[in-house]
Amino acid sequence: MSDSGAGMVSWVLNGDPVESPAGMTILEAAKAHGAELPHFCYHPGLSIAGNCRICLVETNRSPKPAISCSERISDGLEVQTHSEKAVEAREGVMEFQLINHPLDCPVCDKAGECTLQDYSFDHGPDESRFVEKKNIRHTKDLGPTIKIWGNRCIVCTRCIRFCDEISGTGELCVVARGDRSVVDVFPGIPIDNPLAGNVVDICPVGALISKDFMFQSRVWNNEHTETVCGGCARGCNVTVETNEGFVKRLMPRENTDVNDWWMCDFGRYGWRYAHDDRRVSVPRRGAEAVETELEAHRDLGELVRGAWGGSKKVAIVVDPFLTCEEAHLVGRVAAGTGATVGGWLPPSGDELTFPGKFKISGEKCPNRRGVEAVLGQEVFGSQAKAVESMLNSGGVDLVIVFAGFPNADCPDALASAVGKATARVAFTLFDGAWSEAADLVLPSASVFEKEGTYVNEDGRLQRVRSKDRPGDAQLAQPGLHSASISSPWVTSELVALQRALVHVGDAERSLSAAGVFRQLADSNEHFKGQSHRGIPATGVPLGGLAPAGVGEGSES
Amino acid sequence: MGHDAHAEPEKKPGKLGLLGKAYLPAIAQGLLHTLGHIVKWDHNTLNYPDEKRAPFPGYRGEHRLTRDEQGREKCVACFMCSTVCPAHCIEIVAEEAPWPDREKRPKIFNIDMMRCIYCGMCEWACPCEAIELTEVFNIPVRTRAEKIYDKERLLSN
Ligand code: SF4
Ligand code: SF4
Ligand code: SF4
Ligand code: SF4
Ligand code: FES
Repeated sequence: MSDSGAGMVSWVLNGDPVESPAGMTILEAAKAHGAELPHFCYHPGLSIAGNCRICLVETNRSPKPAISCSERISDGLEVQTHSEKAVEAREGVMEFQLINHPLDCPVCDKAGECTLQDYSFDHGPDESRFVEKKNIRHTKDLGPTIKIWGNRCIVCTRCIRFCDEISGTGELCVVARGDRSVVDVFPGIPIDNPLAGNVVDICPVGALISKDFMFQSRVWNNEHTETVCGGCARGCNVTVETNEGFVKRLMPRENTDVNDWWMCDFGRYGWRYAHDDRRVSVPRRGAEAVETELEAHRDLGELVRGAWGGSKKVAIVVDPFLTCEEAHLVGRVAAGTGATVGGWLPPSGDELTFPGKFKISGEKCPNRRGVEAVLGQEVFGSQAKAVESMLNSGGVDLVIVFAGFPNADCPDALASAVGKATARVAFTLFDGAWSEAADLVLPSASVFEKEGTYVNEDGRLQRVRSKDRPGDAQLAQPGLHSASISSPWVTSELVALQRALVHVGDAERSLSAAGVFRQLADSNEHFKGQSHRGIPATGVPLGGLAPAGVGEGSES
Repeated sequence: MGHDAHAEPEKKPGKLGLLGKAYLPAIAQGLLHTLGHIVKWDHNTLNYPDEKRAPFPGYRGEHRLTRDEQGREKCVACFMCSTVCPAHCIEIVAEEAPWPDREKRPKIFNIDMMRCIYCGMCEWACPCEAIELTEVFNIPVRTRAEKIYDKERLLSN
């Protein structure tokens, strides 16, 4: 039809004339118009295989139903998604999918988020007509983190395509033929690539199971928090799933500007430190625990007040796990005391780029760019040297150290440098040389307990959320602990710093993370015009930080 | 008087005579009635706990975790019962089963009997007939903690 716009195709979906961009498949175009079609083998991030046939629809182009995941729309195409023929075709496919399926949902970890379960509910028969013996296929380990229940496999090949196209490692293949075919690895070559965990997510059934999550919780009991991964500067969008305050697993969240649909195993399985028994969970003066957090925060306030106005020599050592909000408060303390601010990055890892464009950053921390943008200086670059020599030359009256390094992998320079100051305050996740000599030790919050924003290596501002929002909940009721991800409870640096500032008289009252961000947005040109509420779920590129061509440009 | 034409006329409390005010005739009447029952021996109460009433069919008492023919718990730790439980009183922690024919089993299976409302939904939900409500109802305990039944306790019910 000549009247459709450039690149647009006019077609008919269930009797309604609609327009969609040319080149789309029926499944994608129908979804854009609100008609979800079932699919197993189709995945937006993978090539089209068209082998499961659950997406069948009726069209005016062929007497036989067409697979909507690979058939593209064209002018004049008429599609019926719920005609008798289409529904019957899908029901037939569903019956075939189920004949050899063990239906062991009660012990299957996918139950509750399994598309086979959902579609069987929507399209499947009530009863099986299959009286013959079901096939038995292998149940075995495919690699250090992944196990396969072959009986459940519907041979959609999503996992195989992932290993071929995204990770580029090609460990998986289909073995055997016909109804005995099942996914396997080549002999002696386990699946252990850095993106392996994703095949479990994309498996539409419970055939591939993550050994880390196996039997840990039923998925419908999990609570979901949309946040970003703290594993590296990439800042993959993730959903943290918790159950009764305990992290159960991390799942990637779609963001085509950052991580597409994927995340790496380092980030995925890197949450255990948050529940480590060795974590510092109560504030201490030296070795002796402080009764209440408020008391410890007052101590901090007292130390800061003593140094207020630039009368003392103060050094602040920041870590790249601080949120932008926390960095802003550090900036205020530094401005008030005339402190020198510097910091160290954790040991760097390998930078990896995969054939599917997925990138893992070598910088194993989430917010170097954010902290530097907030503080307006290269705190982890030239400033690190300045702080180090200042601390090593002695004569520093007060040093405040932020050592929120997961797994206690603090840089050595930090550990050796801080011991020489007269008064030492350490915010830390784990004890080490940097905290053992400190006069005041305060617990750091892990990435899962923080509330605020991070800036990734591309200069994209993204929200970090915690389930119990320690910052906000605690501020609402001063003096009350907020239950956080780990037990016992941890208050974030955000709260401690604000209490100290209130004690000094530099702030009237403590604010939520969103409130602190408002101050930051008012005072820092990079963050101008941003607000917590205004940041979309997939983040927003920051003005002056994002390299050209990333995202849509800043809103400032 | 009510608006309803069919309403019973209100009873006016009658004036008590001297006898009535002494209450003695009424008391004697009551005692006689009781005596009548003792003589007739048609009382309905049981001498509990020496005598016990047979529970009605379908009576919902304390839970039992059932065993298969090899004496292992049938439960596969699917969490259906704890999901359906309206009182949220079932706590399960799953683990890998050590047996070749079973994948999953409960490591911890606790029911807080004091929170339980004995609705029987857990029994309905179980796909393995692994949990059932028995006719046991009279288990007194000395502490609240004893009323949180663990797996062993439930298997022995
Ligand atoms: S293991 Fe899962 S993803 Fe792989 S082919 Fe089988 S069903 Fe598909
Ligand atoms: S690539 Fe980086 S941000 Fe993404 S999941 Fe891995 S560690 Fe986390
Ligand atoms: S009987 Fe009802 S309340 Fe008691 S454990 Fe079962 S489901 Fe829960
Ligand atoms: S429903 Fe039955 S099998 Fe499932 S956890 Fe409860 S008792 Fe066990
Ligand atoms: S989703 Fe279309 S054939 Fe599998």
